[in-house]
Amino acid sequence: MRDAETMPGSSGTDQISSLILRVALRDRQAFDLLYQVTSGKLFGVCLRVLRNRPEAEEAVQDVFVKIWLKADRFSVTGQSPMSWLIAIARNQAIDRLRKRRDAASAIGDAALEVRDPAPGPEARSIATGERHRLDGCISELEDDRAAAVKGAYLDGYSYADLAARHRVPLNTMRTWLRRSLLRLRECLER
Amino acid sequence: MSTVGIDLPDDSGGDDILAAEFVLGVLPADDHAALERRLDGDAGFARQVAAWQDRLLPLADGFAEGHPSPAVKRDLDIRLFGQAASGPRAGFWESLALWRGLAGIATAAFLFAVALPRLAPDPAADQARLVASLADQASDVHYVAVYDPGHGVVGLSHLSGNPAAGRAFELWVVQAGQAPVSLGVIPAGAAVHLTLDSPLRTLVGTGAQLAISLEPPGGSPTGLPTGAVVAAGDLRGI
Repeated sequence: MRDAETMPGSSGTDQISSLILRVALRDRQAFDLLYQVTSGKLFGVCLRVLRNRPEAEEAVQDVFVKIWLKADRFSVTGQSPMSWLIAIARNQAIDRLRKRRDAASAIGDAALEVRDPAPGPEARSIATGERHRLDGCISELEDDRAAAVKGAYLDGYSYADLAARHRVPLNTMRTWLRRSLLRLRECLER
Repeated sequence: MSTVGIDLPDDSGGDDILAAEFVLGVLPADDHAALERRLDGDAGFARQVAAWQDRLLPLADGFAEGHPSPAVKRDLDIRLFGQAASGPRAGFWESLALWRGLAGIATAAFLFAVALPRLAPDPAADQARLVASLADQASDVHYVAVYDPGHGVVGLSHLSGNPAAGRAFELWVVQAGQAPVSLGVIPAGAAVHLTLDSPLRTLVGTGAQLAISLEPPGGSPTGLPTGAVVAAGDLRGI
């Protein structure tokens, strides 16, 4: 487990952790503060994946309902708080994306495309040391494989989406991505 | 192991790589749902998933901050608690609710300004910030205060309630068993700052209470509160 204590700037992490723990005790004031501090980032996750503002607003609401209901699970995972929060947001947004695709596969993706702005300075919420390490490991991958990992994480692309975008068979894409993930794990453990 | 409907390569990598695929969310919906169910009863798998979430977290820097509309928080509160954060919620009050929501955005911006720099390495200001929610059941005045001991600055985010015409809000710090000490008149505005003189800084700490009273413009003439206390709250670490 990546230890929050060893990350630079861990006091911001600690603040968010203690807010989540207070939410687990049904502290509404802590919930309001947690919303104020993290809703911008978590909404950003939903907007990037869903590329549709009204849908992203519904999704981020679902995200905070989950946070309220599952906050007591947070301490069990021993994770860094942003990691836990972002996982909930990505899950929610990707889930919604998959359902939408099932329901309306006729709509061309292009119709839903929204340009997302470059990350602003306020988006730099992740400890720089960790970021540089992962960036370094990703840069060791071939360009198209690095793009596939990022496309899955940031845009919520499925294996089927990635295979179509990279014009390779599904099996090939799965082999690529799995090997890339193994290489990332090795690189991070070096 | 997997029912993805894709032939597994021989170097399938076992559960750990399945955990990574689950974290990325690349699997078909049925497989993803099956793994999600597995998380509940399989602590080892849950740990692998959490480890991958942590490993890949730096990629989340690629998510730009957004600004959900104020209606999102209001609807969320109604959904979870049956009412908006503060009081009435429809018809005539709609504009007030919206206005409170906008104040919430200002709070968000303000809290980002104070909280997020803490997430980046910042060796300079290492003293923990304190926060207090200032409210009182008898009034609709609500502020959130954040105190930065490193710079001696109290940031106040105005959520609701205004002074009566011709009156001003004054902020006080109260330590148990002692007379309130004025920190100054609160300027009008959604997010304002008061910079404290050094002697005052020693009074503001965990266990102290902040309070807001209604005073003549320019502040209490006596150095002690002369009007009603309309909001108060304890300072605590966040």
